[in-house]
Amino acid sequence: MSNPYHNPKAQWAAYLVFFTVLACVPLMVENTFTVNLLARFLVLGMLALSVSLVWGYGGILSLGQGIAFGLAAYGMGMTMQMQAQDPENMPIPSFMLTNELTELPALWEPFWHAPTGIALALIVPTLFFAALGTIMFQARVAGVFVAIVTLAMLSAWYSMAFDMQPYTAGFNGISPPNPLQLGGYSVDPYSATAYWIALACLTALTLGLKALLHSKFGLIIQAVREDPERARFLGYSVAAYQVSVFTLSGFVAAVAGVLWVMIVQYVSPTALEVSFSVTMVIWAAVGGRMSLIGAIIGAFLVNGMQSFLGDELLYGFLLVLGGLFIVIVRFLPNGLAGLLESVLGRFGKRAASSDAGGPV
Amino acid sequence: MSVNHFWTAFAFEPFMNALLIGLSMASIWLIAALGLAIVYGTMGVINMAHGEFVMLGAYTTYLLQSAFGLPFLLCVPCAFLIVAAIGAIIEKLLIRHLYKRPLDTLLATWGLSLVLVQGVRLMVGPEPKNVASPAFLNASMQFWVFELSWFRVFIFGVTIAAFVVTWWLLQKTRVGLMVRAVTQNKEIAAAHGIDAGRVYTLTFAYGAGLAGLAGAMFGAIKNVFPDMGAGYIVEAFLVVVVGGVGSLAGSLVSALGLGEIYSVFAYFTNGTFAKFWLFLLVVIFLRFRPQGLFSEALARR
Repeated sequence: MSNPYHNPKAQWAAYLVFFTVLACVPLMVENTFTVNLLARFLVLGMLALSVSLVWGYGGILSLGQGIAFGLAAYGMGMTMQMQAQDPENMPIPSFMLTNELTELPALWEPFWHAPTGIALALIVPTLFFAALGTIMFQARVAGVFVAIVTLAMLSAWYSMAFDMQPYTAGFNGISPPNPLQLGGYSVDPYSATAYWIALACLTALTLGLKALLHSKFGLIIQAVREDPERARFLGYSVAAYQVSVFTLSGFVAAVAGVLWVMIVQYVSPTALEVSFSVTMVIWAAVGGRMSLIGAIIGAFLVNGMQSFLGDELLYGFLLVLGGLFIVIVRFLPNGLAGLLESVLGRFGKRAASSDAGGPV
Repeated sequence: MSVNHFWTAFAFEPFMNALLIGLSMASIWLIAALGLAIVYGTMGVINMAHGEFVMLGAYTTYLLQSAFGLPFLLCVPCAFLIVAAIGAIIEKLLIRHLYKRPLDTLLATWGLSLVLVQGVRLMVGPEPKNVASPAFLNASMQFWVFELSWFRVFIFGVTIAAFVVTWWLLQKTRVGLMVRAVTQNKEIAAAHGIDAGRVYTLTFAYGAGLAGLAGAMFGAIKNVFPDMGAGYIVEAFLVVVVGGVGSLAGSLVSALGLGEIYSVFAYFTNGTFAKFWLFLLVVIFLRFRPQGLFSEALARR
């Protein structure tokens, strides 16, 4: 008997159970604030998913996943803000008036139309990742340099969002007054509907990525991670695969950004903070970066712990988080999923040896 | 549109002063990056906690000054020694176990930086502290069209001194020879009887000490607060990356280049735009010279 952890059927079954349980949660939870909190966790899980894809499978340590998240979040924030504006009486958001703008900037014009706005919120960050990825990977920038370049771009975007007061409301951020209106419906952030929308996106993306990683593409991606040079010698365009996986991870983070603003009705430069992007990496590391579902669970665990401990203990929490991260990196590089893998492997071996009636 | 003036016209005197500010920026970025450059060049370790070593240097200065009344100029070398000692301990406890895994060192040192920031915040308190610098450094001087503070000149001088001393240590001393040997090929160096582990500890401690030195001075320009290190780390990394791994001269040239470009951009537009375009420029630069300005072909690690 081999390790059940590696059995594809068992893996799909685990994914199915996981998402079914998550889908039932709002039926059991009455408190709307809890539903909203859990919906936020789903979005953060989606960010861990994007890290698991790009770092765990692609071997690319991106510290800039927050760029896609933040840009998408701003796109969504602008869309929802414009839904509250009236072309006749109140054509521009009030924070612009206080910043002495008299007409709507061209940058904001497309966001009058919500579907266009949401599409832009998804497309622009994805294209940015495609462009940045092309620049980096064609030059064979790799390893820690990717981490530094993505970090630099992130901090550049952060200062833009922070400093361009008239366009982004700066430090205060954009807080659209009403929930998202979509096709005549209003998506109340505290409703189970919002939770299910987030869950549907998370499920679709996770299962889609899972299938993709089981395909030939997924195998080549992992070959590139293990040894780019050999993959190149085998005739694969390493850069093309790296750009694809990086862009895809940007898209996943962008979806998370859109959903986040739908759920919290607020966006500020904190979405683009360096520490936030590195925290995503911590979630994935805790849960296990080589497992999509593990990374998602890592995000749930760390954030669950954080909100359980509450704000008073925040500094203490960050101390613990830093320490935990050091311990995980040092002793458990594959996170909790890696732990599960070795435990299941041991069980499998024991079963096999008792079957054979002796050591194999 | 009063708030959005994105373009400042050229004027001789302010522009010359912008160039001078660029020089001062360059010296700040260089002293922040020097330790990072040595540690990465020698050990292949990206130390994300480097900014926190800067912060520890600033707090060391603050504590020595407020608790023992040490004069500022004496605090600076003390900050170097104390932070170097902390660096040596951290290398022995953590870094040394992760040499084979560069990405993991990056993450572990990030965890370390969280611990250091929060630890200092819990122990010393989150409110900013002041470091007093001697009166003669607080004055400013004027010659021709330039106007600058003596403190900036002081930082510039210390940076140059630290750079020259580092170069001398690496090129002219026996320890430096060992460091260079280990940099080129750790195994062969070890086969010749060099204790590579000790060289790594020394290098890391020296890099941390340089950060402490930088922190002692930064604490006096601005306030001392727990997450002050984050403000220098990205620029310091870019100086190292653009300069080329393992090249001190590269770091010097790239710090000068980046500082001046930033300052000139900032003069014509504003600080935020300047930062954005500078970072974008660096990314495009790396597209064409991924190895940086000065890097010779290094042995693969």
